[in-house]
Amino acid sequence: MVQGDDLARIISGCKSGDAVCFSRVVDMYASRCYGYFYRLTGNKDTSDELLSELFVKLVEKIGSYKGGSFESWLFKIAANIFHDHLRSKQRRRKLLEVQQVEIESETTEPRKSDGELVDRLQAQLGRLDTETRELIMLRFYSQLSFKEMARMRSEPIGTTLAKMHRGLKKLRLLMEG
Amino acid sequence: MDGENGENLKELLEKFFDTEQAASCIEDFQEAERILREHPAPEPDEMLIANIKAEIAMRLPARRAERFRRRVWELVGVAAAIAVLAIVSVRLSNGPGRQPGNGAYASLIPTAIWESTNIAADDADLALFTTEIEQIKDEVLTLESGRDAGDSDSSIAELEMELIQISSDFWKG
Repeated sequence: MVQGDDLARIISGCKSGDAVCFSRVVDMYASRCYGYFYRLTGNKDTSDELLSELFVKLVEKIGSYKGGSFESWLFKIAANIFHDHLRSKQRRRKLLEVQQVEIESETTEPRKSDGELVDRLQAQLGRLDTETRELIMLRFYSQLSFKEMARMRSEPIGTTLAKMHRGLKKLRLLMEG
Repeated sequence: MDGENGENLKELLEKFFDTEQAASCIEDFQEAERILREHPAPEPDEMLIANIKAEIAMRLPARRAERFRRRVWELVGVAAAIAVLAIVSVRLSNGPGRQPGNGAYASLIPTAIWESTNIAADDADLALFTTEIEQIKDEVLTLESGRDAGDSDSSIAELEMELIQISSDFWKG
């Protein structure tokens, strides 16, 4: 994992429009961001799209990164992209008026795409509400501290901790059950 | 879920829960973390990563061009603002509003006198007006002191008429 000065140099290169530096950022964060999207959507194709969108946004918005935790900044964009995805799904659903399809069908009933197998964890994650699932995945994939997560979510740290504990406990019970 | 970000989870949890609850929380956290680690999400395809990098490389020149365009527009904006300020300043300092004979001065001194170049004639007019005013002032003082034996009411009316006449002549130039 690249840290500190190296990361600062890479980000500075990105700000100057250096393609090599952007490539390094992709290598560093693609796996974690992909995992985050996959565990939230349960769909490989959607995760592919969201990951591409994330890095395109990164190119567009890198100028607005003013220091601080880069992971926090990057995962904030990732979270916004996921929310936009949920909203567009909702709009599509309303537009098509298909028969009572759940808005979170992707996550509550993970589908198999390209013959992939839905693992047990994904199935149980689908039984958690979106907010809890997002919180757990944010913590696990971004590796942010609870303080950073609370700041990012604009809520007191005690609230974040309590929600996380409840969610993890439930997930643990589901997985053990 | 502890360690990589330098966070001491035990210490943090003990701020919100008692020792026993905090220990239970940590156990739940660790167990959930173990489950998540045992079920890794799939990795992104190499093709996807290559496509993303290609997309970025394709967008960078456009981004550079966009930044250049924005910079140029910023400079154009600044130059335009400076030009407008300069024009306004020049107009204010040299414009017709500052020409003698117009604007604020015109309301104080009759235009004909202000614009006239015949200084001798103007001086003679001014001397005449001044003499008349001095004369009227003397007559007023005489009336006020009661030294005039005549009909004071008609004298005052006469004086007022004279003053009005002088004022009218003066403003006509």
